[in-house]
Amino acid sequence: MALPRLSRSFTGLLVETSCLIHQRTFRVSTVAAAIQKLTRVRVVDNSSLGNTPYHRSPRVIHVYTKNGIGKVGDKVLLAIKGQKKKALIIGHKMPGECMTPRFDSNNVVLIEDNGNPTGTRIKVPIPTQLRKMEGDYSKVLAIASSFV
Amino acid sequence: MRVKIMNVLCRSRKLLSSVVRSSVLVEQTQVLGSCLSKARCYRLCQNLPQHFAASLASCQHRHHGASFSCHFHTKRCYSERNEDRNSASTGVFEEESHEINDTSFLSQSPLETFSLDVLVSLLRQENAVDLCVIKIPEHIKYAEYFIVVSGVSPRHLRAMALYAIKVYKYLKKDGDPNVKIEGKDAEDWMCIDFGKMVVHFMMPETREVYELEKLWTLRGYDEQLRSMPDETLPEDFMFDVETTK
Repeated sequence: MALPRLSRSFTGLLVETSCLIHQRTFRVSTVAAAIQKLTRVRVVDNSSLGNTPYHRSPRVIHVYTKNGIGKVGDKVLLAIKGQKKKALIIGHKMPGECMTPRFDSNNVVLIEDNGNPTGTRIKVPIPTQLRKMEGDYSKVLAIASSFV
Repeated sequence: MRVKIMNVLCRSRKLLSSVVRSSVLVEQTQVLGSCLSKARCYRLCQNLPQHFAASLASCQHRHHGASFSCHFHTKRCYSERNEDRNSASTGVFEEESHEINDTSFLSQSPLETFSLDVLVSLLRQENAVDLCVIKIPEHIKYAEYFIVVSGVSPRHLRAMALYAIKVYKYLKKDGDPNVKIEGKDAEDWMCIDFGKMVVHFMMPETREVYELEKLWTLRGYDEQLRSMPDETLPEDFMFDVETTK
């Protein structure tokens, strides 16, 4: 019955209600991918700014890439505790390339403007592909305790 | 061996030539140490073109910063016996000045690769403060050696980093990737990743804050790691089942 509708919707998610009386199809755009503006992120280092509780979780307010999408290794600007802070994306929930780890939370490490990490240790596992990527990641890898 | 330091004409860089640990080298340096006059050193130098290729070329590099075809008048070559790379060793210095034909040091011996010995000796030569070399265990697939050095000032750190890059560029073969200095705009912490080795140039204060040596030797038992409170999930964390596509 809804087969022509099904064949038309080749992009996005098709939600079909189980009711037989009427068929409703929702066309939903694909997930924009990884980390973008206003995503809530998890700060994983031991900095005081990232670990003290606040009534709002840290959010991304700007992504420093050509498109507004942040993947592993991209710098973002966070709003934490009412102040702006730069951060580096360590892992995201979106599946990435083959043989790269996918995390259950969007992990981020706070860094200063000169690139030095704000915290001194990272407990969360860090993907090793950071080493091969272009960018200043050796400092973050140096304070990491486990690698994935 | 006698310690003999002659007039220093310009305080530019000198690469320690006995970085390469080989029995042949020890004999050569012993022979070198025993001679006094310039002429004899020069003759010996002529006999060891390959061995001094790197040192000559790098000295030349420092002096002129140009192609290898230029002659230079003063050359200083130092030889140092280092049995243990981590301990302070008594150095035997010898200096000579003469003109060397450039054709002798165009050929590199297979021993002149940018190894840990080369790096450590050049850091020592640059008066690096608190040099620390840590061997990373095999199960951590990061690098083989983790080196932390301090410097007297930010300019000192930058100079050390640039010199290390310069030596690496000279000693690298065609297949080796280029290496860049990470953290150039941060004046108190710079890193260079040489593939097998990672070097961190930090100021002493920064070193105290981060305590990288403790982390990389103690690994899981590090104090700062242990003092971190256990992770609890944030209140708004939702574990979603994948609904994409």
